[in-house]
Amino acid sequence: MSPALIEELGRIVGPRWVRHRRAELKTYAMDGLPTRESYPGVVVIPASSSEVREVVRLLHLAGAPFVARGAGTGLSGGAVADPETVLIALTRMNRILHVDPVRRRAVVQPGVVNARLSEAVAPLGLHYVPDPSSQAACTVGGNVAENAGGPHCLKYGVTTNHIVQLEVVLPDGSTVELGSPHGEPWGPDLVGLFVGSEGMFGIVTAITVRLEPVPASVRTLLADFPTVRAASEAVSSVIATGIVPAAMEMMDRACVAAVEASIYAAGYPTDAAAVLLVELDGQPDAVEAESETVRAILCERGARSVRSASSAADRARLWQGRKKAFGAMGRIAPDLAVQDAVVPRSALPDIMDRIAEIRDRHGLSISNVFHAGDGNLHPNISFDRGDPDLVHRVHVACHEIMAVCVAAGGSITGEHGVGSDKLDYMPWIFSPETLAAMRAVRRVFDPAERANPGKVVPVHACREWRAARGAQ
Amino acid sequence: MTARPTAPDYSSLDPCVHCGFCLPACPTYLATGDESDSPRGRIVLMRALERGEIGADDAALLQHLDACLGCLGCEPVCPSGVGYGRGIQTAREQLFARRGPSPLAAAVLGVFRRDRVWRPAFTVARWLRATGLPRVLAGGGRAGFGMGMLAASAPATARGGAPGRRLARPSAAAAAPTVALFRGCVMDTLFGHVHDATRRTLEANGYRVVEVEGQVCCGALHEHAGDRAAAESLARSNVEALAGSADWIVVNSAGCGALLKAYGHLLGTEAATELAGRVRDVSELLADRGPRPGGELPLEVAYDAPCHLQHAQRVHAAPLAVLGAVPGLRLRLLPSSDKCCGSAGIYSVLRPDMARAVLDLKIQSFAQADPRPDVVATGNPGCLMQIGAGLRAAGLAIRVVHPVELLDESYRRAKIYG
Ligand SMILES: Cc1cc2nc3c(=O)[nH]c(=O)nc-3n(C[C@H](O)[C@H](O)[C@H](O)COP(=O)(O)OP(=O)(O)OC[C@H]3O[C@@H](n4cnc5c(N)ncnc54)[C@H](O)[C@@H]3O)c2cc1C
Ligand code: SF4
Ligand code: SF4
Repeated sequence: MSPALIEELGRIVGPRWVRHRRAELKTYAMDGLPTRESYPGVVVIPASSSEVREVVRLLHLAGAPFVARGAGTGLSGGAVADPETVLIALTRMNRILHVDPVRRRAVVQPGVVNARLSEAVAPLGLHYVPDPSSQAACTVGGNVAENAGGPHCLKYGVTTNHIVQLEVVLPDGSTVELGSPHGEPWGPDLVGLFVGSEGMFGIVTAITVRLEPVPASVRTLLADFPTVRAASEAVSSVIATGIVPAAMEMMDRACVAAVEASIYAAGYPTDAAAVLLVELDGQPDAVEAESETVRAILCERGARSVRSASSAADRARLWQGRKKAFGAMGRIAPDLAVQDAVVPRSALPDIMDRIAEIRDRHGLSISNVFHAGDGNLHPNISFDRGDPDLVHRVHVACHEIMAVCVAAGGSITGEHGVGSDKLDYMPWIFSPETLAAMRAVRRVFDPAERANPGKVVPVHACREWRAARGAQ
Repeated sequence: MTARPTAPDYSSLDPCVHCGFCLPACPTYLATGDESDSPRGRIVLMRALERGEIGADDAALLQHLDACLGCLGCEPVCPSGVGYGRGIQTAREQLFARRGPSPLAAAVLGVFRRDRVWRPAFTVARWLRATGLPRVLAGGGRAGFGMGMLAASAPATARGGAPGRRLARPSAAAAAPTVALFRGCVMDTLFGHVHDATRRTLEANGYRVVEVEGQVCCGALHEHAGDRAAAESLARSNVEALAGSADWIVVNSAGCGALLKAYGHLLGTEAATELAGRVRDVSELLADRGPRPGGELPLEVAYDAPCHLQHAQRVHAAPLAVLGAVPGLRLRLLPSSDKCCGSAGIYSVLRPDMARAVLDLKIQSFAQADPRPDVVATGNPGCLMQIGAGLRAAGLAIRVVHPVELLDESYRRAKIYG
């Protein structure tokens, strides 16, 4: 990175907030996906919207590419930059700017940590609904960019359903307001377009979110199944009743074992082949009736036992275990390939069998933890990158799992985004024409493709896409 | 000795999957938002150091590893059970072996190595404190902050003066369990009044407190800095002095207590392990007995957990039980009460800017608390002085005391001491 540019950046944010020494760059070389490492050219940590604007303006004039970064918990290599690229970390912009309890809105800076927001508005009886498992660490800005989901998005929708307005610095350094605080967009829904754009359209510097009242009553059930298939079938049976649980999450034996060995041990049965965590919320009477129905179905589908959280603390413990599950997998092996795919719910039982078959054939250790209610799978492969043969097998297995999901009518990502990790899979599910349309939209915001370059939308020649598709 | 130096062991970091859950638990990351100042970033640096990808003399690596408080706030939140503390200790020893201490660190650590150096130094400080000047000069600038620290070490009431070294009153029945008071250095000079309160409250709860000669500084500051040889030598003196002295060794400084409890690990001898097993924080001994309730103190009290008590010793409930024994005392935990104050041994002397940035987050939460606390209670001398100075610099009229001081005051009100 040119010393002149580094100096210019320092003039904007203060030299203290520009990181360019090798050791420092190394700490930014990965996000939550430790298998992709790339040193950024320089890291700049602005303190305000206007500093972001000036930085992006400078980069526009210099023709330099850039990547935004929140907490770096992303699982698709999205917040990682190459040596020609400037990494803009939004972590210092962590203030909640305004809370309107009457209209149930909050305006936050992008670096606010998801869980902090809900904590801050809890005294008002409100919360911010999207609750990715990483919520203790990830930022609202990162959630917007990834359109993050979470256990409770089954009933209440993912991030995009909870964002009404965005302040965005476009790649040329100009600032635009998208949407309105009323949440009724006039004209094209640009907020909808921006949410999930993975940093390709610019940097969001202020976010107006919807807040929701904390539900009057909540019931959390923990069911324990002798086979993964029985648990998967139970999921479909519950949904078939027309009841929409607030959340429905599955963990298999390997995952339960890792959680139970951690400080987040939740008291899950370690001898179960799979456990289901089902939550119902709403008015007390309805919750009571629905949980009885759900309990009956779970038992009918072969649950060995179904227990209900006995207290708020017990409920919190059951959820902490689920939410810290990825982290706990470091106990199995030092490296983890986190997969993210969506399949039609009805295909769940068969897909789970196929994943087990792939696991056994390659001799791998796979633990499953996922949002079962919406068919969003996370088969996680534990491995040690010191073993090249194993790394190869992991790579092949990831491909095979993804192919199986796509063949069942599924999609290549449920919530972790495409980033750089899923780039190769894009032609599996989108036609060259659709990919070209995506690229055209990208160029509307960013003609030179300097924002998060090389990610999300593959830029291969159309012929290569076709060849890749043909191979399917 | 001709033993070949073994390669530094960083295996406790192996389980890290880079998930980021530790970021919001780290005071330096909260202060800067910089991944290089986060546990996850430091783990990346330590692994690079281990593999030789980054040299032990790399200025950026040194800056960010040195900026770690060693507060261990990152350990209890890690789902993978990463042993961050062991990792950073290994790194500190590796780096110390190579570069030695900085001149400032060497000077400070040197003072604490010898009783005949630190005792007169702190005695002069106590005289200065007695003049009342530090209270007047306390402020936000660097010198003013230092004065604020000294002022904050003063007893809250005029009663305490010179340390009551031999105040021993005829004690509880001979059958009562005996407790040897670990005197330490800073505690024994600037915080003599806390030693007095420790003794009185323990005796009121049925312990017999005994004095043991020949103790030295615990060595925690040296260990923290990576100067293992100095820490070991001090530890050996203490093990010798305290061996067979009493049923329990009581410590009222969380930092000292954490190391005394780890003497077995540090020295690897049977005597050290045996001694370490008998070490208790004063709050633990009091909580074992209830402690007995005292007289009413109608105060808003915010408890602030010293890192070396909550993370290193994993003592959480005992100090709350001590404060709970004071009728009328309204106890609260503020959002920042489990975060490091930035004192961290001699860290606040070596890296005053980061220490202040870390402290400011805590002071803000006191300023914003509603109702505002009258008193902050915390069981470690560094925290008492650091938080006290920060409150003074911010112009907040909040007292900072050791929890046993409140219990002591409460017993006095109830006329328990007669
Ligand atoms: C243990 C664990 C559990 C997880 N569970 C879930 C889950 O349940 N659901 C889920 O959806 N995800 C989950 N994730 C993935 C991840 O936490 C989410 O994608 C999250 O939204 C990322 O936020 P972040 O702040 O870490 O963003 P980063 O990782 O820093 O960035 C992610 C992307 O957003 C872009 N970006 C960041 N900030 C901005 C900004 N201000 N403006 C524009 N672009 C920006 C980056 O360029 C990058 O492309 C999990 C991750 C981990 C490690
Ligand atoms: S929480 Fe643990 S596993 Fe996750 S990044 Fe921090 S140290 Fe690593
Ligand atoms: S020990 Fe404290 S300062 Fe150091 S990385 Fe852990 S939380 Fe941060």
